[in-house]
Amino acid sequence: MKHVRIIARLDVKPPYVVKPIHFEGLRKKGAPEEMAAEYYEQGADEICYIDIVASLYRREFLYQHVEKTANSIFVPLCAGGGIKTVDDFSKLFHHGADKGVINTFALQEDVEIIDKAAKIFGSQAIVVHIEAKKRDGWWECFSDCGRVRSEKDAVKWAQEVERRGAGEILVSSLDTDGTEKGFDIDLIGQIVSKTNIPVVAASGAGKLEDIRDVIVQADPDAVAVGTMLHYQITSIDKIKRYLKDNGVEVAI
Amino acid sequence: MSPVIGLVNYGKAGNVFNVKKALEFLGAKVKIVEKCGDFDGTDKIVLPGVGSFNDAMAEIEADGIKESLVEQAGKKHILGICLGMQILTKAGFEFGEAKGLGIVDGEARKINVGYKIPHMGWSYVEIVKENPIFKGVDEKDSFYFFHSLEIIKTDQILGFSKYNDYRFVSAIQAEEKGLFGVQFHPEKSRKSGLKVLKNFIDL
Repeated sequence: MKHVRIIARLDVKPPYVVKPIHFEGLRKKGAPEEMAAEYYEQGADEICYIDIVASLYRREFLYQHVEKTANSIFVPLCAGGGIKTVDDFSKLFHHGADKGVINTFALQEDVEIIDKAAKIFGSQAIVVHIEAKKRDGWWECFSDCGRVRSEKDAVKWAQEVERRGAGEILVSSLDTDGTEKGFDIDLIGQIVSKTNIPVVAASGAGKLEDIRDVIVQADPDAVAVGTMLHYQITSIDKIKRYLKDNGVEVAI
Repeated sequence: MSPVIGLVNYGKAGNVFNVKKALEFLGAKVKIVEKCGDFDGTDKIVLPGVGSFNDAMAEIEADGIKESLVEQAGKKHILGICLGMQILTKAGFEFGEAKGLGIVDGEARKINVGYKIPHMGWSYVEIVKENPIFKGVDEKDSFYFFHSLEIIKTDQILGFSKYNDYRFVSAIQAEEKGLFGVQFHPEKSRKSGLKVLKNFIDL
């Protein structure tokens, strides 16, 4: 049995964690390093820190915030937002991130950054974030937190980034993110079944059943939870206990 | 007096930040080792786990610390983490064959059982031999794994773990040399991992 990882996801607009609804209408929630420390204490298997405005304003990544976050946790830290160069990845790793997450630059400007980064840092350190929106019978990839279209098919894009050396795919849905109405199970299931690297299901958890359903029906390797934690609808330890009671193997 | 841990920095990714942070959090002093003289003044040695087998060994040779590292074995306690454990063996087969440090028996081979590689996630450790670094660790403690290679052909085994249904060696010990190796990342394994690091610091 594999242990499904439960990841606490922090969407950050420095200096605050914010909770976007459909990636817009930001609500302030708290300091990322404090929230990361709390989710770590609750038993998060990993923390995912994404600076959601870095790309938009082409602003330098706030490495000191990543480092502060890394300092308060002893589980893997995945971080990203606005990565454009191999050096950006390197800086992230030197400030305590274990994995770097990239979307916009790879999708819209130069896909080869994935090949280059994977060669230097290893596939395990490169996570590609897919932000997908349902179209008629397919899903389109977006960038810049759902603001910019690409006309690329999300499932084909997932296969391409795997081929180029990505080690993991974080799948968000612009249709379900922040809605608390459940995951886009079809989208996640398609990407899981058509790739051979770990897939993290994100966007849409509103109740514990949603988390179980996406695990049972789409078979992701991990689930990222944000809203439910930030609004204290539940906690990581409650999620894990619930999953364990419902036949899903998790690390407690 | 808190012991001084020599933390060997190798590999192009060169990220020792997280191991250093965890050791310091537990009260140890950390000295980064990048050339042979750097071992002076250290009480124990940790080999962290980043990068590839070939790169790490190439870097260790280029830095001229290979001989002094082998020399330290038996004099100071050594803990190898993930790749840091793998390079203690005789050889690694990641991109073709590369010679390891040869301090312990065995070799590192790609996990080849049809599951996704790298193996990334949490597993338990089934401890098969009483030893000081797993003191206080029980079957409910889970650890974070992040690796493509596994150790084979060794009988210096401390524990096994499972990747789905596949059982592999996840901890080794060369008792006469005071040397330990763990396949998981203790610096990333919550309180379970910190227990192991603390036990090592306290040896």
